[in-house]
Amino acid sequence: MHNMMHHQPLSGKELDYISDSISNEDLLVKQCAVAAHNTPNPAVQQLCNQMLREHQQHIQMLTQSLQHHQSIAPFQIQ
Amino acid sequence: MYSQQQGQQQSGGVMQDKDMLFTILADLKRTVGEYTTATTEASCPVVRQMFMDLQNHSLRMQGDLYKFMEQNNMYTKPQPALKQLIDKQIQQVQQKHQQTDQFVQQQLHGLGQSMPYQAQMNTTQQHSNSGKNPYYM
Repeated sequence: MHNMMHHQPLSGKELDYISDSISNEDLLVKQCAVAAHNTPNPAVQQLCNQMLREHQQHIQMLTQSLQHHQSIAPFQIQ
Repeated sequence: MYSQQQGQQQSGGVMQDKDMLFTILADLKRTVGEYTTATTEASCPVVRQMFMDLQNHSLRMQGDLYKFMEQNNMYTKPQPALKQLIDKQIQQVQQKHQQTDQFVQQQLHGLGQSMPYQAQMNTTQQHSNSGKNPYYM
């Protein structure tokens, strides 16, 4: 689906939102890791490990988006 | 939101699990909200789609976590709203709906008086023009 759409240069706002989102997801990854590590309950451990992987995927998506926009970003504002 | 749990933290793995999951749930809620804002602010269609996908997926995770916590007695279900409160709401909504309908009819077909609305618009404009700091400067 993404391939059918055209990339446009990132706006400053979009860059800020992507950066904030990576911070949010990073925090969630750490929280899930702590919860999975400290729980005596296998069900909680399984759930937290699953969530941890999904948040890592989110970070990957966000990082890839930055990389895709890297090549089309202007060097200076016209 | 955290205060109701503070007294219960002393011991036991279950309590700690509950607190940890509650924190994750709260952060998931916040993240979903931020993805919504990011979606509305995105200009590149690919970025917009990405934020929509992330929001959708995070919402699903939040729902799954909530369900898990509820099933494991870590989250108390909210109390049901009383019937009389719902009745009252419905009554108010119906009233409002009638008023809005009337307003729309007036605007679309010029029935009744459409002048007050125009006059109101003009006054608002004058107000913002005469202000010391118009926000569009």
